[in-house]
Amino acid sequence: MEIILETNNLEKKYKDFKALNHTNIHIEKGAIYGLIGKNGSGKTTLIRIICGLQKPTHGEVFIYGININSNDIVKVRKRIGAIIETPSIYGEMTARDNLIEQYKLVGMPNFDGLEEILKLVGLSNTGKKKSKNFSLGMKQRLGIAIALANNPDFLILDEPINGLDPQGIIEIRELILKLNKERRITILISSHYLDELSKIATHYGFLDSGSIIKEISNEELMKKMEHKLILKVHSQKEFVKYFEENKISYEIEDNKTINVYGKNNLAKFVNDLSKKNLIADEIHETKESLESYYMNLIGGNRID
Amino acid sequence: MIKLLNAGFTRLHKNKLFWLLSIFSICLALFMIYMRYSDMKNYKDVIEVEQIMLNYSTIIGIIIAIFTSLFLGVEYSDGAIRNKISIGHKRTNIYLSNLIIITLTSLFSYILFLIIVGSIGIPLFGKISLDVSKLLMLLGCLFITIIAYSSIFTFIAMMISNKTITAVLSIMSAFGMMMIALTCFNILETPKTVQQALMINGETKIEEIPNPKYPTEAKKKMCQAILNINPAGQMFQIAGKTANLKILPFYSLGILAIFTTCGIVLFRKKELK
Repeated sequence: MEIILETNNLEKKYKDFKALNHTNIHIEKGAIYGLIGKNGSGKTTLIRIICGLQKPTHGEVFIYGININSNDIVKVRKRIGAIIETPSIYGEMTARDNLIEQYKLVGMPNFDGLEEILKLVGLSNTGKKKSKNFSLGMKQRLGIAIALANNPDFLILDEPINGLDPQGIIEIRELILKLNKERRITILISSHYLDELSKIATHYGFLDSGSIIKEISNEELMKKMEHKLILKVHSQKEFVKYFEENKISYEIEDNKTINVYGKNNLAKFVNDLSKKNLIADEIHETKESLESYYMNLIGGNRID
Repeated sequence: MIKLLNAGFTRLHKNKLFWLLSIFSICLALFMIYMRYSDMKNYKDVIEVEQIMLNYSTIIGIIIAIFTSLFLGVEYSDGAIRNKISIGHKRTNIYLSNLIIITLTSLFSYILFLIIVGSIGIPLFGKISLDVSKLLMLLGCLFITIIAYSSIFTFIAMMISNKTITAVLSIMSAFGMMMIALTCFNILETPKTVQQALMINGETKIEEIPNPKYPTEAKKKMCQAILNINPAGQMFQIAGKTANLKILPFYSLGILAIFTTCGIVLFRKKELK
């Protein structure tokens, strides 16, 4: 799988404060990468560095395989659209004029597709209304429209749903999914709204105190959040054979622990095991939410 | 760069501030013509059109300061600079394109003023009495000083991310430069002697004595140098037709080179939020 964005041991210091500390991130082509972290965890600093607004103290950033310190990065940036914190829009201009301005900035030869973008973000009927009079949701959608002017294949959205009402959140969510599915745009989206991200992200990066403490695909995460039985056993071999034969989803965590996934009835499950003379030392039943998973990550040890 | 200028001029064309500046230039020209016309009618004054043409130069620094701080201040507050960098424009080009837009707008404002004064003033007051080549040299020098002013206020606006601070600092700088220039003028115009009244045998006698406040040669040279370096000082000399036209453009070009080089170097290093 092609990697669109990669950072190696990225570090950013503001005097004595380390905003980013050995941050490693990997974003695959076609992904919606949810960058999760509480306020002050370093999300915006990371995005500012990726977008060229700030320079890292140490470490490297590669976008489409090009180092951001290379002269060729200018060409790569033309393939990126970004909204950093607040959308870049001129309040005195209409939605259409803002988009024309962006078309000229990116050097589009004509205004073909302008109306299509406005329609895509639901702003084709705003007429002469100045963008300073737009609602927050409309401003965010105009920001996305501007970011789409250069037909990017990588979109960076920093906290796009901050301050939006439920309707605005749904609109942005649907727009992001549409862009990813229909235009095949890879999207990096930062947020501290876990529930919202879980509805759209295909991959996650959990950022805490400037470090990525875990990168995980949605598939893996969902598996982790499934109903799970944790078995502590002496000999795993017989258990594994039984699970394979009965097509039971499992995962070996360490040499004494096996995680069994699915909605197993605990009593029936223990009974079935005992029929095969499979006796576990301990069995725990768990069900994790994204929130508890995240809290365990940032509260506990690093999970690698 | 062309893309940045194209987008910049599109924004300028739709910008209220730009149209206000244009209207101001026209109204100022009309106001000055009206005032001089009244003087001609009431006091039979002989009006020199070229003097009206040069008068705007004394306040244009403040006008450029206000326009630049508000026009470029929005670049930070509305996130436009962030946007330009993230889509791949080089910081040097962003800085230079902004400088070019500010400079051309400032020159446009003055040229518009000149057109109004020329088209109404010449038929009204008669032809230009000053030698045309001398007037063209004064105007050329004035335009170069406008470029120097633009480079100073572009520097301030590009270094400070806060629009309000930029506006306050730019306007204060413009007034500061004017105050320094006026102080230098006062010192240079200090008379060599002053009159002193004496009572001798009940009779009042006036005699000339050396002025204790008369500046030394070194002080005079320093004041003249400050006037020459300071764009406001240059403008006063141009408006007074006392400018050394062979020297002043070099001072202006020096200001342009220093502020633009420093501006580009610092803007390239600037951490943006």
